[in-house]
Amino acid sequence: MPESLSQPDAAPSRHGEPLLQVNDLQVSFKTDDSRVRAVRGVSFDIYPGETVGLVGESGSGKSVTNLALMGLVPSPPGRVDGGSVMYDGKDLLKLSPLQMQSIRGRRIAMIFQDPMTALNPLMTVGQQLTEMTRLHLGLSRRQANEKAAEMLELVGISGASRRLRDYPHQFSGGMRQRVMIAMALSCEPDLLIADEPTTALDVTIQAQILDLLRELQERRGTSIILITHDLGVVAETCHRVLVMYAGKVVEKSDAGPLFASPQHPYTQGLLQSLPRFDQVQTTLRAIPGQPPDLGNLPEGCSFRSRCPLAIDRCAREEPPLASVGDRREAACWVAEENANG
Amino acid sequence: MRDLLSYLFKRFIWMILTLLAVYTVSFVLMRAVPGNPFSGERNVPPAIERQLKARYNLDAPPIQQYFDYLGGIVTDFDLGWCMGLEDYSVNQVLAEGFPVSATLAIFALVFAIILGVTAGVISAVYRRSPADVALMAAAVLGIAIPNFVLASLAILLFVFTIQIFPAGGWGTLQQIALPAFCLGLPVAAYIARLSRAGMLETLSKDHVRTAFAKGLPKRTVILRHVLPGAMLPVVSYLGPAVARVLTGSLVLEKIFALPGLGSHFINAATQRDYTLAMGMVLTYTVLLFVMNTLVDISYAIIDPRVKLQ
Ligand SMILES: Nc1ncnc2c1ncn2[C@@H]1O[C@H](COP(=O)(O)OP(=O)(O)OP(=O)(O)O)[C@@H](O)[C@H]1O
Ligand code: SF4
Ligand SMILES: [Mg+2]
Repeated sequence: MPESLSQPDAAPSRHGEPLLQVNDLQVSFKTDDSRVRAVRGVSFDIYPGETVGLVGESGSGKSVTNLALMGLVPSPPGRVDGGSVMYDGKDLLKLSPLQMQSIRGRRIAMIFQDPMTALNPLMTVGQQLTEMTRLHLGLSRRQANEKAAEMLELVGISGASRRLRDYPHQFSGGMRQRVMIAMALSCEPDLLIADEPTTALDVTIQAQILDLLRELQERRGTSIILITHDLGVVAETCHRVLVMYAGKVVEKSDAGPLFASPQHPYTQGLLQSLPRFDQVQTTLRAIPGQPPDLGNLPEGCSFRSRCPLAIDRCAREEPPLASVGDRREAACWVAEENANG
Repeated sequence: MRDLLSYLFKRFIWMILTLLAVYTVSFVLMRAVPGNPFSGERNVPPAIERQLKARYNLDAPPIQQYFDYLGGIVTDFDLGWCMGLEDYSVNQVLAEGFPVSATLAIFALVFAIILGVTAGVISAVYRRSPADVALMAAAVLGIAIPNFVLASLAILLFVFTIQIFPAGGWGTLQQIALPAFCLGLPVAAYIARLSRAGMLETLSKDHVRTAFAKGLPKRTVILRHVLPGAMLPVVSYLGPAVARVLTGSLVLEKIFALPGLGSHFINAATQRDYTLAMGMVLTYTVLLFVMNTLVDISYAIIDPRVKLQ
């Protein structure tokens, strides 16, 4: 069956055990006068070999959720208040710093949003690539250099062994992001968290990077969490989607059904604000109104002030994430009612 | 390498121009104040004064003095006879005093860098801990207390009360320790604050988060990914630090009775020893130039984005 290049492969079977199970994760930040609840009870599973899109407008808690998985919430002011992240039979939130070090970079790797600042400007790219494989895989300096060159070739940087001696400022933004990807993949992690890996890049390079990720996933069966503002990217790349709003997952669905019939009013708003599906450059800010203050949340549904469908109940009770169809969940009273007749 | 050579060449040209300017300004200033080295309390008979003036070329017209003296410096590095110290040439005084002052300055600087950087790093890594608060309070004090007050206190404490250091003299490590400590402490305090600020700023950088995300141990992240960047402001400060230590040592050497340039400098100023003062000013100018050049080169070595120019 021939498949269009711009479509993700059919979702991998989810019969096996999940690779990672996030349960009721809560993260907050202390500010001068309040505690900002950035992540308020987020739960999701990641299965081997799948790409899960994480969308939601700025400040909805996407990055913080993933920093918490990595044990990298800046503290102070941040704090993980509760929940669990089960991986390989262990709760990552309860591991010692030493145990966590052997997971970070080795089993779960992360690519950060801004390639211009994510690399150390005072070290050569080679030094930055090799320190990881030497640490985690115990390679010798020579082996690590060979591996680093190989990884750079893999992500499409030519003259790799020469370029190992270059510093980040000698690379363009797109090339630096490739270096980041090469670095993140160099220990063959089980899970790759890509936090807006293409936001800072122009459209052509963006497409190249996404192709690259897809290709690498096929080759190695890596699971990917792809954080993005860009629904076009999600449609093209992801098997499943998590929609976040004000620190919660408000909709969970396979990608196809989500785009065909979004259940949560927020998701509907996002898709309406996307004039055409093939339009690549569309951000999520187009819904009128402001997200609530996470340090001082109103009662009831946090989307209520912006919701066209709100009913009385929305002001009193906060809707839980509930099943609204086959493998679909949404946190909305109206959606739940519609689904259950 | 080409860059480095052309940079060094440019710096050299600048140094020569600066020296010429310094020479000219010093020359004019010294002549502009009324009196000369042989006037004043000592009443020198006119015949002898004439003789003295002839020896120091002071009877020539000022313009000629300017060029004669300059010529001697350029062709032979000859700074002439001291006007205040009989039978000593300026070169002799410099040759005797400079090594002492330089040694003291180097000890003070090395001490200041080691103490300052260590304190700054500890403060930043254990931010808001009691250690941080104590170290930074000490740094504020260290910056505020002038050298000579510190020196007097130190002498009172370590020489008279708990007698572990000699009051003065030169040659042994023990004799260097106390003045070097007093000279270096304010600089250490300043370096501590710079290092702490540099560490905190670098710690908050994205690339440090990347380093943690790679699974590197905290110690490696701090030493390899934070410290070099955090040291850039400290390296920049080393130029002014050298100047500060050198001027500070002028006073401290007097207090600790060290045979460096310090006591000569003060004598040269009070006794209008034109030639000695000129020699010292020019020496210090060269020294500062060399130090600043070294600082620039170190900076460029640490930060590959910086081009020497
Ligand atoms: N270091 C921090 N200190 C204080 N508050 C923070 C910090 N980092 C994040 N937050 C808060 O956590 C909330 C979620 O932030 P997060 O970075 O996860 O958003 P995001 O969904 O990734 O947004 P974006 O799309 O802009 O990256 C924000 O409201 C923010 O104010
Ligand atoms: S629960 Fe109510 S307010 Fe919230 S999204 Fe659903 S309809 Fe809108
Ligand atoms: Mg983010």
